[in-house]
Formats: sequence, C-alpha cells, structure tokens
Amino acid sequence: MHELVEFAVEKALELGAEYAEARFEEHSGVNIVMKNGNPEGVGIRADRGIGVRVLVNGGMGFASTNILTKESVSEAVKKAIKLAKAASKVRNIPIKFSEERFHEVYYEVRMKKDFRDYSGEEKMEYLRLIEEEVLNSGIKVPMRFLSYQDWIAHKYFVNNEGAKVESVIPRVSITYNLVVFEEGQVEQAPFVQTAFTGGLELIERAEPWKRALNDVKALQRLIKEGKKPPEGKVDVVISPEVAGIAVHESVGHPYEADRIFGREAAQAGESFVKPDMLGERIGSEAVTVIEDPTIPNSWGFYLYDDEGVKARPRYLIKEGIITEFLMNREYAYYLDTNSNAAARAINYDREPIVRMANTYLAPGDYSFEELIEDVKLGVYMVSFNEWNIDDRRYQQRYIGREAYLIENGEIKHPVRRPILEITTKGLWSSVDAVGKDVEFYPGTCGKGEPGQGVPVWMGGASARLRDVVLRR
Amino acid sequence: MFDVNELILKKAEEIGFGDVVVLSYGTQRRQVRFANNEITVAKNWHYQKSAIFAEYEKRLVSTELTALDEKTIEETLKMLFKTAKAMEPKKDYYGIAEGPFEYKDIPETFDKGIVELDEPNEYVERAINSALEEGAKRVAGVLYTDYNKLYLTTSNNVEAFDEGTGIEISVRAFVDELSSGHGTNSVRVLKKFDPESAGRKAGEIAKLAANPEEGKAGRYDVIFDPLAFANLLSYMSFMASAFAVEAGFSFLVGKLGQKVASEDIVLKDVGNMPNAYGTRKFDDEGVPTQETTIIENGVLKTYLLNTSLARKYNTKTTANAGLTMPRAWNIYLEAGDYSKEELFNEVRRGIYITNVWYTRFQNYVAGDFSTIPRDGAFLIENGEIAKPIRNIRVSDNFQRILESIAALGKELYHIHWWEVRTPVFTPYVLVKDVGITKATK
Repeated sequence: MHELVEFAVEKALELGAEYAEARFEEHSGVNIVMKNGNPEGVGIRADRGIGVRVLVNGGMGFASTNILTKESVSEAVKKAIKLAKAASKVRNIPIKFSEERFHEVYYEVRMKKDFRDYSGEEKMEYLRLIEEEVLNSGIKVPMRFLSYQDWIAHKYFVNNEGAKVESVIPRVSITYNLVVFEEGQVEQAPFVQTAFTGGLELIERAEPWKRALNDVKALQRLIKEGKKPPEGKVDVVISPEVAGIAVHESVGHPYEADRIFGREAAQAGESFVKPDMLGERIGSEAVTVIEDPTIPNSWGFYLYDDEGVKARPRYLIKEGIITEFLMNREYAYYLDTNSNAAARAINYDREPIVRMANTYLAPGDYSFEELIEDVKLGVYMVSFNEWNIDDRRYQQRYIGREAYLIENGEIKHPVRRPILEITTKGLWSSVDAVGKDVEFYPGTCGKGEPGQGVPVWMGGASARLRDVVLRR
Repeated sequence: MFDVNELILKKAEEIGFGDVVVLSYGTQRRQVRFANNEITVAKNWHYQKSAIFAEYEKRLVSTELTALDEKTIEETLKMLFKTAKAMEPKKDYYGIAEGPFEYKDIPETFDKGIVELDEPNEYVERAINSALEEGAKRVAGVLYTDYNKLYLTTSNNVEAFDEGTGIEISVRAFVDELSSGHGTNSVRVLKKFDPESAGRKAGEIAKLAANPEEGKAGRYDVIFDPLAFANLLSYMSFMASAFAVEAGFSFLVGKLGQKVASEDIVLKDVGNMPNAYGTRKFDDEGVPTQETTIIENGVLKTYLLNTSLARKYNTKTTANAGLTMPRAWNIYLEAGDYSKEELFNEVRRGIYITNVWYTRFQNYVAGDFSTIPRDGAFLIENGEIAKPIRNIRVSDNFQRILESIAALGKELYHIHWWEVRTPVFTPYVLVKDVGITKATK
C-alpha cells in the first residue's frame, strides 16, 4: 500500500503536475442500531481506497479509486491530471500553495480497551444499558433510537514536497434519540452523542446511559413543571453545550478562509468576515475562542492535517478581537502566511478542505454560582434542540431543550423552549462573564460538496449574556 | 458483476445464512466546482463495491466489500456469520421480497452521450455566462455527471440489472455580498440539460435582490419558490419512512388515515419516473419501483415501506427498501392550476422566499421547526415584488405549513442539490400565515 501511494505521487509528477499528493485511507469498524429494544442489525464497515490531488498550470484536479491496483491508481492519476489541465483554462488566477515544513512521521491513538477485541453483542450491551436506565425510570419513553459506532481510520499521506504522514486513529461513539410522552405531551432529546478518539474505556467513563436517564427525567419534569420563559430583555446563562454550538456556528465557520474567499459560496455559503477584519473587535473582552485539533481523545483529534501540515491550537478570538482564520495551504498563500493545518477530508474519496476540529470558549474565572448570583431575571439554557444560522454566519437561533428560570440569583423551575435569536456580534458583545469549567460535546460538522461530515468537538465554559432579548 | 454476486450468495448460503441480498455497483462520477467565475477543482470518482445484507434466524448483519476476491469474500462472510450468531434476534423482522419480478425499462434514465462526454467544462462556462448576462458579478456552483450500474441478486430469486446516467448543475450568483440567487437543473439525458436556465434564474434573482432591507417579524402569506419548498418536502422523504416513524423522527407518528395537509394536497413518491434523478428500476430487495401516494387529498395514506415493515403492518411493500430503512426515490407534489402571476396576485402583503437552508427541528414528533431563507427574499405588496428583504427566518410547524397551503402553481420543477438530497418535484406554493422571525440584537 505504501508503494502504491508513493507511486501515485511520482506518476503525477511524471505526467506534468507541479504539485501532487496521494492519500490512502482504510476505515474499518462496526455500526449497531437498536430501535425500541430491537437490535436492527450490525453493520461492518470496511472501506478503503486512494485519492490523488494535483495542481497543473494552476488548476486543481482530484480523482479517487477503491480498486487498489497499480493500473487503477495510474488511471486515477491520469484523470486528476487531465481534469486539472482542463480546469486551469477556466481560471483567472492560478492556484498556488503556501510553503510549509513537512515531516515523515507515524502517530497513533492507543486504546486501553481495544474495541476490536469485543464482539458486536458485547458492544450492544452499552445500548442495553441505556434501554435499562430509561425503561426502569418509570417515565414513558415509547420511541428509543440508539446507535453505537466505532471505526479505525488508517491513513497514509504523501506529497511531492517531503510529507509522509501515517496515522491510525480509532473513534468510538454512542448516539440516542429518546421521545418522552407524558400527560398527552411529547418532548424529545434527539441525536444526543457521546464520542471520543480512543477505546471503549472512554465510553465507560462517560456513562452515556446516565446522561440518557438525566435527559428523560429532565424532559418529564419539563412536561410536568415547565412554564413559559420570560420574554424580552433578560440575562441568559448558557451552558458549555450551548456555548459550544454557538462558537462552532458563529466563530468557527465564519473564520474558515474558503468561505471568506468565496470558494464555499456553493454550497455551504460565504462569511460576514472579510480578510481585513483581522484585529477587529467582535465580542467583549471576556470572549476568547480557541480551535485545537490536538486535544487528546477529542472527537476532532488529529496531529497532522490532510495536507501534511502539523497541527497546533488556533486562537480565533482573543479577548474579543478577531486574531486568526482557519486556513489550508491555498488560502494561507493568498493571505501570505502559513497554513494552520485546518485541511481535512473525511475519507480517501474527498478533497481536503478548511474545517474545524475542536472549537471552544476558553474558560474565565467565574464559578457557576458567581455566574448566576446577580442575575435578577434570566434563563439558564442547559441544552438545545433546534438551531440554525444563515449562510454568512451572522444571525443564529438556539432553542433550549432543558432550561430553567433564574430569579434573584437562584435556579427555579424549568422553562419551555426559550428562544435566543441573535446576531453574531450581538451574542459575543453581550458576554460579561465566563465560567471556569470546560466541557466538550461531539458533533458532525457539515460542509463541502459533496458533503463531508467531519467529527468535531464543541464546547468550552459557561457564559453569561447580559440584556439579550429572549422570545418564546 | 453477477458472477461476484452469485459467488457471494452461494458462499453465504453454504455458511448458513437465510435471507441474503447482494447489491453490487460500479460508479463513475465527475464533478466540476466553481466560484468567483472560475473552476476551483475538478474531480473524478470510480467505485466498484458489493453491499451485502444477510439474515440468520432474524439476526441481521450487513457490510460493503471493496475487494472482491474469493478469499476476502469467504473471510468476510465467516466474520459476518460469527457476528450474527452471537446476536439477539430482531423480533420484528419479517423477511425480504420473493422474486422473480419483471422489470420495465424506464424512459430517459440512461444516455450513452453522458457516459462518453469527454469534458463538461463548456456547460459550466455557459451557466456562468448566462448568470453574468443577467447582471451577476460573481458566480459559484457545481456540475456533476453520473454513470451508475447496479447488479442485484437475492436469495429469493431476484436477479436484476439497472444502468443510469445523469447530469446536473447548481448555480449561485452574487451581485454583491448580500444579494444572491440560486438556480438548478438536473436531468438524466443530455439533450434535456439546460445549464443556462440555472444560471439565468440565479442571475435574475441576484439582481432583483440588490440592496435588501431588514425584514420584519410577523405572520405572512408566503410564496415558496420550488427551490425553497423542495427543501421542506425533502424532509418528507425521511419522515414518511416507517423507520423514521418508529424511531421518533417524524411528525406523522400515529396519523395514518388522518388529515395532515390541506385538502388539495396530493404527495407521492414516484420511483419509476422518467428523467428523475432518484429513479431506479427496483428497490434494494428487487421489487419494481412504483408510484406511491403518501398523502391523498390531505389525508395520510401510507408510510414508505420495505417488505419486512409491510408484513409487520399487514400491508404490501411500497418498494422503498432500504433493507433497514425505507426511503423515498423522488418526492412528487402534484401541481395545481395557478400560473406564477396568478399565484402572486393572490397575495396582498406577503413574502416570496426563493431558497432556504439549515432546516432544523425542535421536536420531530410535534413537527416544530425553523429554516433560514438564503438568496433573494422579497416583500410582496398587492401581487407585486415590492422590495428585497433579508435576515429573516421561517419558524413554524411542518403539519401547519402543509395544512395552510392555499394555492399551487401549475408547473412542476425538478429540484436536486446539496440541500435537497432526495429529488423533489414541486410547483410554486402559496402558504398562508407563515411564522417569520428575526434576530433581535
């Protein structure tokens, strides 16, 4: 396999590429689904192939194949070259890449409890634990969709500038949708995920079955005791989970250089952020947002991106000021700087594009009690269901699933579906205090054409927003 | 590929599996992406794979093979069998369809011209130019060509082959940063391909959308462009699946036989429609695809089913397998009798929404959701477009939207793009009293 990848790069150079890279990926793992107590089946994932990306005359071509013969790979290289040549004729400016230092390196994430050593049935036990906790709670949860997933991504990346990066990264995840019917009302916790890079020990430590029990209890309490949230200008304290989705949607995405320069106009969209906004204030001094692929065991983990560039933490916002964009080599070149290793591809058959990894609101120095103690009237938003944001990443909305009234510094009864619909600048300018404890939540970030759902973590600390308008 | 299928089937039966389905496919797919009036990347994909679904005493396992040699096949099947044997059964599994079936050729699903097309960049340039001619300054988008071959063999006497092609383009045009329009064109045969129409539409809307004002929250009569309504209807593909209903991802839970839409509404899934992007001769069990009426005169008639789910509910399959999850092929909303002009004339004060994205649900079972207009949105006054608006959100309930459909255009549009993954046929649609919200700070 190593030879085949290196052959692809050599072949591309031979055929006239000014830049060439090849990436082998093999994904092997297991999917298990359980619906309303029935095991729907076990899916075995076994996928592999090689993708080749080239620049010829400033045009970019990409081709992939899952037939791992010299002949088929050679055919893919020829296609990539041909496509790049043809594309170069419909370009105003030739594509160039920033200069980077490359490494020959191997890295892997070790599992304490290696999921390859356990059967499908043993993994299904985790889903049964969720079933048991939920059914034993006495709460009516007639619809339960549970899924377990693990896979190992083995990659080997080579380019013609000296990069040889091989990695073995295991990922494990549990997701559920639980629908609570009580007193003729329905509430649900959809797509709630617990996920890591690493082994089963991480799932066992996180105990998603306990989280599931808490979720159905909270939904039952919401149905029984939930009241309307306050309306109009109030203070809102957002949990790490809500802060996480907010930094992902309104900080991470608009700072992606391919959006800023219009490449993603079709289809994920552009950005309200412009290249000359570096150094501008976008939030209060309490707000620092970090993007860091290197967090051990994180869902978005990697040490080298899919262009072979070494990863590091990126400070997107430092004390309220826009400080850095997310870049691959193409956009680092336009910005006359170096890539900060944001190029990711979900598999061998996708081009690497600018992506997030683990985005979080950096901690401040407030305890949770201090965040709420001088809130006269407000809402504590613990989790959310519905959320969305426009394609320039400027006006977003989050609707609380589990949320509580704050009155005179105390947490009171649950409130139903508080709606925070706010602009990006409005949101980050309203933060006057940030908690000191950090938590992360996994998600699948969608972008690219065809779509590339990549694993990311989102999170950070709790934050207090002053005087924001809440609707119901 | 049938020899591979036969080999897999034979080995699977020897090992002891009961129901076995082998779906092998070969895919040649091309893409040209463009932005800022230039090509950003061109791609080619080649896949050759065999998907296996196998059952052992109601225990279900599946995988996809990428290497098709005898040794890999044997080892994979042994591993699948070991996995299946260790499992608990799926109590509500009731088997796969019994063949053989007869398959009819579906017109306009295959075109050699697409297979042999050497270089599609000319279409991209034509689309870009037609958007620029309408007044756009920057044009972005994506063109695909597709060529797929399907080989299906099952343990229940099915052997079926289908071959299909397609070409499609999605064009987004910008006059400035805040003013954009979107157009698409998806067809199965080259002679029907009209990239200029997508470019023109994107350009026209972008031009009309220049200098937008902030929209205001409230309830409005809304005319949804086919592109926008297709986004909402594409969720019907998932929500109409019996699997999604059982799993709590659908507002159609418990509503069979009940009114879920306005009286005029007829919504179908059509798997055998000529020149439609989702069309196939047969589903994943080999049942010939068909036309299935999901909603008739506003009443929910059926969920989308495979054989196992159909037997569970004492009815017939709708030929929508997915062996685990039934899915729609082409969602089809029957046209009404309004011209576009007549539809606009119905609106005294309302909004015309040309496109939406990021549709998300607060509660799938209740159907509460919001979606965000992107590209041009316009205030309508007395049947005329009064001015472009921006920064609004549709915040409503799915069933309420279907129940509040007041008029349907008479022409259908075929929509298939990044945000509308299941192809949708829909006219312009007028919906009364749609909830519109906006950011407050």
